[in-house]
Amino acid sequence: MGRKKKKQSKPWCWYCNREFEDEKILIQHQKAKHFKCHICHKKLYTGPGLSIHCMQVHKEAIDKVPNSLPNRSNIEIEIYGMEGIPAADLKEHERQKQGAQDSDDDEPMPKRPKPEGLLGTAPGTMPNPGLVPGLMQPAVHPGMPPGMPMGPMIGPMGHIGPPFMPPGMHMMPPHLAMMQAQASPAKPLFPSAVPVSSPGAPVVGADFKPITSGSPTTKPTFPAYTGATISAPPTTNNSMPSSSSTSSGENGKVATIATTGAASKIIHPVEDISLEEIRARQSRYQKSIPTKEDDVTASTSSAASDQLALAVSAAQQAVVNQAKQDALNHAAMLQRFQRPAGPPMMAMPGGPVTSMPLVMRPAMIPGPPTFVGANLMRPPPLGMPPGLIGMPPGVVYGAPVLPGGPMLTPMMQPRFR
Amino acid sequence: MLIKSQTEYKLKSPPEDAISSVKFGPNTNQFLLVSSWDGSVRLYDVMANTLRHKYSHDNPVLDCCFTDAVHSYSGGLDNTLKSLDFNTTTETSVGTHNNAIRCVEYCSEVNGILTGSWDHHLKLWDPRTPMCSGNYNQGDKVYTMSVCGEKLVVGTAGRKILVWDIRNMSYTLQKRESNLKYQTRAIRCFPNKQGFVLSSIEGRVAVEYLDTSPEVQKKKYAFKCHRIKEDGLERIYPVNAISFHPTHNTFATGGSDGYVNIWDGFNKKRLCQFHQYHTSVTSLSFSHNGSVLAIACSYFLEEETLPNPMPEDAIYIRTVTDQETKPKA
Repeated sequence: MGRKKKKQSKPWCWYCNREFEDEKILIQHQKAKHFKCHICHKKLYTGPGLSIHCMQVHKEAIDKVPNSLPNRSNIEIEIYGMEGIPAADLKEHERQKQGAQDSDDDEPMPKRPKPEGLLGTAPGTMPNPGLVPGLMQPAVHPGMPPGMPMGPMIGPMGHIGPPFMPPGMHMMPPHLAMMQAQASPAKPLFPSAVPVSSPGAPVVGADFKPITSGSPTTKPTFPAYTGATISAPPTTNNSMPSSSSTSSGENGKVATIATTGAASKIIHPVEDISLEEIRARQSRYQKSIPTKEDDVTASTSSAASDQLALAVSAAQQAVVNQAKQDALNHAAMLQRFQRPAGPPMMAMPGGPVTSMPLVMRPAMIPGPPTFVGANLMRPPPLGMPPGLIGMPPGVVYGAPVLPGGPMLTPMMQPRFR
Repeated sequence: MLIKSQTEYKLKSPPEDAISSVKFGPNTNQFLLVSSWDGSVRLYDVMANTLRHKYSHDNPVLDCCFTDAVHSYSGGLDNTLKSLDFNTTTETSVGTHNNAIRCVEYCSEVNGILTGSWDHHLKLWDPRTPMCSGNYNQGDKVYTMSVCGEKLVVGTAGRKILVWDIRNMSYTLQKRESNLKYQTRAIRCFPNKQGFVLSSIEGRVAVEYLDTSPEVQKKKYAFKCHRIKEDGLERIYPVNAISFHPTHNTFATGGSDGYVNIWDGFNKKRLCQFHQYHTSVTSLSFSHNGSVLAIACSYFLEEETLPNPMPEDAIYIRTVTDQETKPKA
């Protein structure tokens, strides 16, 4: 293999052990990968340069070179291309390459883009931090440099083990190396998914995924969101544990959430009620809550009258509270009928005239907040909007949609109690 | 990698129990309204880092809002909507619901205060004559709501979403089921009024559009976030808080994982992630010009086994830059 002979002289990046066809590309790589400011994306020239920039411009201290191998993260060492690499590392790298020459694989590596959102995975997650310096990390590692072989290479590499370079690493055609050096850092999906201060925790969850059913024709850049559809039952196929949340109301029990899946756990109590409701049940908040079970009664009554209601209903509690509730409702009803009819509020953006606040600075303008942007409201078009449920096709937009009964004016709002 | 710096500081004399809501004033970075489970609503001067005023409810307060620079409204487990005039420090009990008031929002377009309650109802209040001027059934417990111009988006238990026109509350504009499989945690509307962002307890956020035409609806999507993988187990956290940058239409999310992320919803990009806070992020608020973000942290009983010691309740004031909040062109 004639190509192999060139390997010895290839420039390589001290921070991530990648090799390049040309020192110019290596420098491009270092600027884009290792010397780029995570805040303003300015490309600096050296590690110390980046450190000084971040301190002076952003008041942030950086203690590691981004995207570097754990033992090569020193920000103090001034390395530019191949200049400045410690002699010991240079020697070690040469030695590794000699050893790797024995491995026989001249297949050019298929280029796979590095999974985005993993930029700068903190060094703590490296699987083998104790590897010999200068050695390539296994390709399966999320923090690997872009362009490392994946897929078919994973197998063989697993067997080869530390003494060998992964075969094919030196065989990367120049144009591929070029592409990586130039293209891949240029378009990170999550450019700011830079290391945060928690080494050991990989940056997860940055995968935006479109809802496929809602957008069958769009060509998403991201993998399809397998689960929820616009009005699908919550039991659609999904690797996540299924929730019984929507079945509440039909059965009389408190709905629960399957919080524990095979490889995941939702950090939430199993009851499908809000964290605030759960917290409110604590005894220290109980002492003076006047009508705690109103909700139960309300849901029972509205479920009878209104198929919308999906709330938890507890019949026995409802009975207990019925008398109290009736009285309350009666009072509430009377109160309501004493209120003025007509449109609830007139548009009066000026609001009440308020005197200049004593506690505020004189420069402040009292008055309601102004919303940014023009009034964009327009009526939705006729027809069946995909997001609407409970509105049969053909219903003229604007008709009362709430099936609970005639909701003509606020005053007339029925409650069916 | 990032070390804490001058970009962020903690507010002095924080609430003594979990923080339910933080809201910046309508036209200054200076004042922050904070409601808490200790039954109090506090007004902080975040520039001077002092507590300026405090008033109390009989029970934990779940939400609060400014109506203008000098008036606040708040409600909670005592079912009562209260208002305070900061000039005169006069407290007024405006009215009640039949159950806890979960959300308090102000709509400048109609100059009305909206309250959403666990009694399944939404009430509209007129600040000039403090009385209820409308009561509207939402079909289930109101968990979250957000005003978007003259529209109101309500998220209830049972994963329902209702869209109302506040100028004409005689019918529901739209009724939807959440695109997310799990309980709705928070909804906030885009400042450009095109849509809203919805988060669930299952580490997921959906970007939705109000326009129901199929072309616009095609753009909606959802994504996973606020998840931490440890030893092969993915811990999925509720996304408790959303706050929009007032001008860039980007938004911050805060989760029970203690992280705050800033997203560009239109370009499907994460703009940045802050360091991990010591406990759950329960509320977020950008200031009126988007230069400062208030971050409320309180442990919220997400897990059965309580951490020991209990994490303290804290509010961080963080200065954010355009690099962190502006869509990358």
